[in-house]
Amino acid sequence: MKFIQASNGPFIARREALQWLAMLVGGTLSLPVQAALRGETSNQTSFHLSAEQQALIADLADVIIPTTDTPGAKAAGADQFIEYVIRNCSDVKQQDLFRQGLQQTNVLSQNAFGKPFPELSSQQRNEIVGQLTQREKPFFMSLRELTIVGYFTSETGVTKALDYLPIPGRFQGDVPFKAGKKVWAI
Amino acid sequence: MNLNINAIKDMTYDAIVIGSGVSGGWAAKELTEKGLRVLMLERGRSLEHVTGYEEAMKAPWEAQPIARLGELAPKYPQAPQESTLPKSAPSYWMPGMDTSYRQDKPFRWLRPGIVGGKSIMWGRQSYRFSDIDFEANAREGIGVDWPIRYKDIAPWYLYVEKIAGVSGEKLGLPQLPDSEFLPPMDMYLVEKEVRKRIEKAFPGRIMTIGRTANLSEAQKVHLDNGRTACQYRNQCIRGCPYGGYFSTQSTTLPPAMRTGRLTLRPDSVVTEIIYDAQKQRASGVRVVDSVTLENRDYFAKVIFVCASAMASTALLMNSVSDRFPNGMGNDSGQLGHNLMDHHFRLGASGQWKGGQDRYYFGRRANGIYIPRYRNIGADKRDYLRGFGYQGGGGRQGWQRHVAELSFGTSLKEELTKPGLWTMGLIGFGEQLPDYRNRLYLDKTKLDKWGMPTVAFDSEFRENEKKMRVDMQNDAQEMLEAAGLINVKAYDQGSAPGMAVHEMGTARMGRDPKTSVLNGHNQIHAVKNVFVTDGASMTSSACVNPSLTYMALSARAADFAVQELKARRL
Repeated sequence: MKFIQASNGPFIARREALQWLAMLVGGTLSLPVQAALRGETSNQTSFHLSAEQQALIADLADVIIPTTDTPGAKAAGADQFIEYVIRNCSDVKQQDLFRQGLQQTNVLSQNAFGKPFPELSSQQRNEIVGQLTQREKPFFMSLRELTIVGYFTSETGVTKALDYLPIPGRFQGDVPFKAGKKVWAI
Repeated sequence: MNLNINAIKDMTYDAIVIGSGVSGGWAAKELTEKGLRVLMLERGRSLEHVTGYEEAMKAPWEAQPIARLGELAPKYPQAPQESTLPKSAPSYWMPGMDTSYRQDKPFRWLRPGIVGGKSIMWGRQSYRFSDIDFEANAREGIGVDWPIRYKDIAPWYLYVEKIAGVSGEKLGLPQLPDSEFLPPMDMYLVEKEVRKRIEKAFPGRIMTIGRTANLSEAQKVHLDNGRTACQYRNQCIRGCPYGGYFSTQSTTLPPAMRTGRLTLRPDSVVTEIIYDAQKQRASGVRVVDSVTLENRDYFAKVIFVCASAMASTALLMNSVSDRFPNGMGNDSGQLGHNLMDHHFRLGASGQWKGGQDRYYFGRRANGIYIPRYRNIGADKRDYLRGFGYQGGGGRQGWQRHVAELSFGTSLKEELTKPGLWTMGLIGFGEQLPDYRNRLYLDKTKLDKWGMPTVAFDSEFRENEKKMRVDMQNDAQEMLEAAGLINVKAYDQGSAPGMAVHEMGTARMGRDPKTSVLNGHNQIHAVKNVFVTDGASMTSSACVNPSLTYMALSARAADFAVQELKARRL
């Protein structure tokens, strides 16, 4: 349900949750996932990122969400979230897409500037990511999505880039929006 | 088993309550407060109020990485589904492997695995049935007539509402009687706008704030019970350390415990109700300890079956004897039949360009409600009964841009500002009782506790399908009339069980030949067994049913104690 926002009310969250559980008990899951649900290790792929690849993800994520007056994706550790999802939650096809995307990033960097991505200036990095949006679109879309989710659900993102109030204590559905007010984290 | 007399005495109570959810909690509270020594059996694990809610106070970033994926998770198919529930505390549900059941037709059976049952994770929407609902079967010649009317249950609605606490707005509608309300929660600006415009464009269609069992204001009865007001955190499903909403743990268990007459035994799977042919009564229950797999029998004068609609019926079906070869109380042959749920997962959503200089504060644990207006008064459709809408507004946050190509400083700045106001409606429709919709037991396949596999053979039929056309079109029509943009109608399809409002299969009725229970939720032919959960429902209405289970349970407990005192049980 695309329209559902986090603020749309708990019963919808519940519905969503219950839909997940429906899948869970419906017997439609793959064997590795079923194993995971039983608490067993389901890590049957040998997906592994080198330190360089991990660093490259962090650098790319930081182009997508850079440091401004608040910390960026790298400082927020978004790359760890991305790596976790790609390793644990993605099929081999998606993992290959990711590996190739990382490789292509360096190829594009070499072609354009004669250097691998980590050695580029921030302007050059922006240009390469711009190229990725066109030439490696599926990879970029996946990376971008995971960066956004990883960042805005990280402690840094939630508390620095967004407005987080653990215990509001009241609800008002119509209050003035003050300029500079950040969006609610949840 | 060799038991001496003392041991049997130790295992004997005045009453046994099977299940600790919404219905079982009320039964235990009422029975203990009226002086009975009660054993409450729960198949799930123990879950202590407050201290047991381990996820309740966690910040968003403290969730597992995968839990943070939220609604993106479908794109990452190997994600362990059980932990993709940022708000729903997956450990509260029965592990998938323990809940195998068979689907002759698509069915979703969601089972909790904790003391408190689904009262911990429920949606808390609380609505009274009306006489339009109680009279519908008789009026239309569908199923059997409810053996009760609104006047029979109204005092019990009132009784449970005061204790549970239901917030909402009085409307004075015949099809949706008002509860004894705590103050209504506020509506989002977009909801207030849409409400006005719908009411103008469609006289008779009313949008109100959801009626929810959250304490918008804690009154003395709640404070005395150790509860405080809702904190608007919207983390209810994890369990509320404030006791801000109704659950067994927050509301019915504490007073039952205070009587000193309640024994609560978790990890106890009841496999059978034991029938005493001489006395023509149930004498007790057979229990398997879910951890040690040890068998035990417990005995009582009265048994309340509150195991959840499907599980209660499965238990009765598994309780066979010479007298009841087809399941306890099944003289009518109706046990397991007339399975109902609400059909939903369709409606419309849209966005509102106005109100850009307005925002909201807090996280409301509630949505809006549009009461049924079809087949009410002069309105006549090509189907029977009707539907209501749930839904709600909000204002887009950082999640909104995930499908676009931008990146960098501009993306980051954009995502830290709110987007448009949004509004969505989801129809919830009544399902007619139909003998063909049923569950049955497959005794060739037993689970590890020796319980047969429950098989589901149930579907939404012609009446529901016709109704769904209106449910989708009306939602779109209303949001368009309200001036929203990008209005999209959707129908994601609905299978029985998905709404988690399973009802029927041991219906109440006036005639033992056509129903399992009488007007007091009492098995016609086994007077000391009461079924007070969703299994007892004779029709489903279109409103969320839990409040009705509360009222029926409290009412039946009151009746049972009277009967016990009169030595009729």
